[in-house]
Amino acid sequence: MTMPVLEVTGLSRYFGGLPAVRDVTMRVPAGERRLLLGPNGAGKTTFFNLIAGDFPPSQGEIRIFGQNVTRRSANERTQLGMARTYQIITLFPKNTLLHNVVISLLGLRDLRFNPWSDLRRQTALWDKARATLARVGLDHIADRTVAETSYGERRRLEIAMALAQTPKLLLLDEPLAGLSADERQDVQRLLQSIPRDVTIVMIEHDMDVALAFADVITVMQHGQVVVEGSRADVVADPKTREVYLGH
Amino acid sequence: MRGPAFNAIPRLVVCAALLALPWLVTSDYYVNIASQIVIAAILALSLNLLIGFGGMISLGHAAYLGVAAYLTIYLTAHAGFGHLAGALIAIGATTVLAMLFGYLALRASGLGFLMITLALGQILWGVAYRWASLTGGDNGLGGLKRPHPFGLDLSNPAIFYYFVLFFLVIAIWCIARFIQSGLGQSLQGTRDQPRRMRALGYNVWLIQWLSFVFAGFWGAVAGLLYAYYHQFVSPQALHLTTSAETLLMVIAGGTGTLLGPVVGAALVVILKNVVSAYITRWLILLGVIFVAIVLFMPEGLVPGITRGLRTLKRRTRPDETADASSIAGDRIR
Repeated sequence: MTMPVLEVTGLSRYFGGLPAVRDVTMRVPAGERRLLLGPNGAGKTTFFNLIAGDFPPSQGEIRIFGQNVTRRSANERTQLGMARTYQIITLFPKNTLLHNVVISLLGLRDLRFNPWSDLRRQTALWDKARATLARVGLDHIADRTVAETSYGERRRLEIAMALAQTPKLLLLDEPLAGLSADERQDVQRLLQSIPRDVTIVMIEHDMDVALAFADVITVMQHGQVVVEGSRADVVADPKTREVYLGH
Repeated sequence: MRGPAFNAIPRLVVCAALLALPWLVTSDYYVNIASQIVIAAILALSLNLLIGFGGMISLGHAAYLGVAAYLTIYLTAHAGFGHLAGALIAIGATTVLAMLFGYLALRASGLGFLMITLALGQILWGVAYRWASLTGGDNGLGGLKRPHPFGLDLSNPAIFYYFVLFFLVIAIWCIARFIQSGLGQSLQGTRDQPRRMRALGYNVWLIQWLSFVFAGFWGAVAGLLYAYYHQFVSPQALHLTTSAETLLMVIAGGTGTLLGPVVGAALVVILKNVVSAYITRWLILLGVIFVAIVLFMPEGLVPGITRGLRTLKRRTRPDETADASSIAGDRIR
């Protein structure tokens, strides 16, 4: 049995007395497209934040690429080969799209601690950033500031910043949220073009898109895993209907 | 991650004015005031690294000025060290102090960071005030004679001015390089989106700490020059009012710019030394000016004036376009 890329065991997180995530166990093998489904307040984003290292769990263990990262910081996890996007777009609005991607690339290089070398002269870095923007179809507006772009373009930039780091594990938090029908198709195509050597865990509310994308689906409610299985299994499970329709 | 508002034209004007100053101002008094401005500008530039580029508002920056000044005078005038050794040890030890203060202060952010820096600065002020056998207490520590580096007579006000100006130029150059470097850009990223930066693989704490130490180093350089200028140091150099004045320089001049702290330093030092000779309640005037800056140029003098000039330029452009089109229209007709 191959080592899972992401392995979560008995993970819980309480905010005061309120359980946001309760005893979640999950194994995501290499190359899998895992979808997290669930109504608002199900604990999906908290679960993501725990994996990403935004805050520590109250209980449980997280392993990424076989390494126990439960007590390791967010930046250490990223250095291992994990990248993420946010539900609420988090970019550098005063900077150009190109600069945003350069900052993403810089995060994995020793140059980030260099107090002397002019970043503007690191041509290889800027070329790579431009190539990454081309990959997501934003190279034609690379020199625009983020503030001058549309919501859909910002979503794509978020994904570009994650892809720039050539991650092996990619966490996507509602990458289609707030997009128009055309923009959704663009982002969907972009997600489908990501090679299989990248393992993806995604939160998404759009069932049609999500079901078309996912290999395995995990349905959460009240911070717990309710159903887990293949698309067919999850759709057929009466608990899924109960979670979404309340009967 | 804005670029520094330090464009070519203002840069040339400022450089020419700074170089010609001892000829333009014949009185030694005003040359000495200019030296004070330059020293204050170095301190303000170092604080601006934290505030403008790092988003870390400190109220304890006088610590580095004061400690470096005390060490310089104590080591050179009282402990038998030479000027070079005294200066190097003073700057080195103050930088080590910045490492420790950074370690403590960066355990918090925002208001917590501000309060820790304030507390650390006040602890040092208390030590300087009470440990009279070492620091001279309220009477301060004196007895320093200015050095003669490379045969330069620093007791001459004009030569001393050029001496401190040299350090200001080096400080601006190093800080300008820093803010365009990988570390400087990372620092500006941590100011804007710390959570995002962590997710991108940055050790936010380490980046902020390294920048804090760098700022402490330039604060120490300002302290060394302060000791050479005054040849005396008292607990006032470590007091909260000195930190607050430096903060005022940065905010008034414009945070996140290179020229802003220099302009802010000039404003505060001139008001403090020159205007106070004519107006007893000069602090009221300083307050009024600061309120006016906050009201009309909340981003500070340098970015505010730059914005004003841009607006003026935009307003004049449509007329030029209209003129050009009317000329073109005349030709067609």
